[in-house]
Amino acid sequence: MKKALFVIAVLIILTPFFTYAAELVGYSEPLENVAAALGVEEGAPLYRGILPDYTVSGLDPYVGALISAAMGSAAVFLLVYGLFRLTRR
Amino acid sequence: MHIPDGFLDLQISALTYLLAALSIGLAVYWLQKHGVNEGRVPLLGVLAAAIFAAQMLNWPIPGGTSAHFVGSGLAAVLLGPLQAVLVLASVIAVQTLVFGDGGLTALGANVFNMAVVGVFAAFTVYRVFERRSRVSGAFLAGWFGAVSAAVACGLEIGSSSIFAYSITATVPVMFGWHALLGVVEGFATSAAVAFILKSSPHLLGVAEVRSG
Repeated sequence: MKKALFVIAVLIILTPFFTYAAELVGYSEPLENVAAALGVEEGAPLYRGILPDYTVSGLDPYVGALISAAMGSAAVFLLVYGLFRLTRR
Repeated sequence: MHIPDGFLDLQISALTYLLAALSIGLAVYWLQKHGVNEGRVPLLGVLAAAIFAAQMLNWPIPGGTSAHFVGSGLAAVLLGPLQAVLVLASVIAVQTLVFGDGGLTALGANVFNMAVVGVFAAFTVYRVFERRSRVSGAFLAGWFGAVSAAVACGLEIGSSSIFAYSITATVPVMFGWHALLGVVEGFATSAAVAFILKSSPHLLGVAEVRSG
């Protein structure tokens, strides 16, 4: 368990660096590239989320990515923990 | 691979929501019937959090795209298909509801593609190849998990009346992109399985017995 938590911590800490690296190559999602290749434009989303695109309003995008990674990991842990508690023996 | 709003028509959106809900319902029913070892519950949460964190890392590929970990293969190999469905569905739900990654109207499709199609394809391939080599099987599971989810995505957007292109265009393009990007997924999955086999091999065996 400690090793797994350590791996998660490392992944979270690496998030801003990967955000920066992705920007260097003009990152876009593969599906966005497919849509662009076919000449389809993505419409406005119906819902943008609490932390849209893994950013925090008013904060540097790299700090936002770091906070998003930490908060998202915690949210996923709690959701899965709660879900599987319902099915435990 | 997260489909945004505006790509799926009402029928495809409703159908995929139904398929995703049925899959999750069956997984919950099966797991409630057979039970999940209480001691493993925190580990499942940690694995889900790790998959989420790994998906945050967009590996830049010169030319303007990126490959990020999907996790269908890793979850299927470590947990078996039923637990993996719930773990991946939870990750995708958080990505959509908290971060707006993927459209609300496409949440059912995204869950169905990555948490159901990708997981079961990966698990099937892994079971075929694991006797020869678990690490090689994990590579193939990662590749098939990502590619099958992408093909399902191509089928859905190509079948949608509001998307300008049919499946004869969308499926080959989605397959082509993800056949290449799936190699990264395969390497990441096999590396993770190799690490677990070396450091905590009991995790792999227990997961397969419990959920198989």
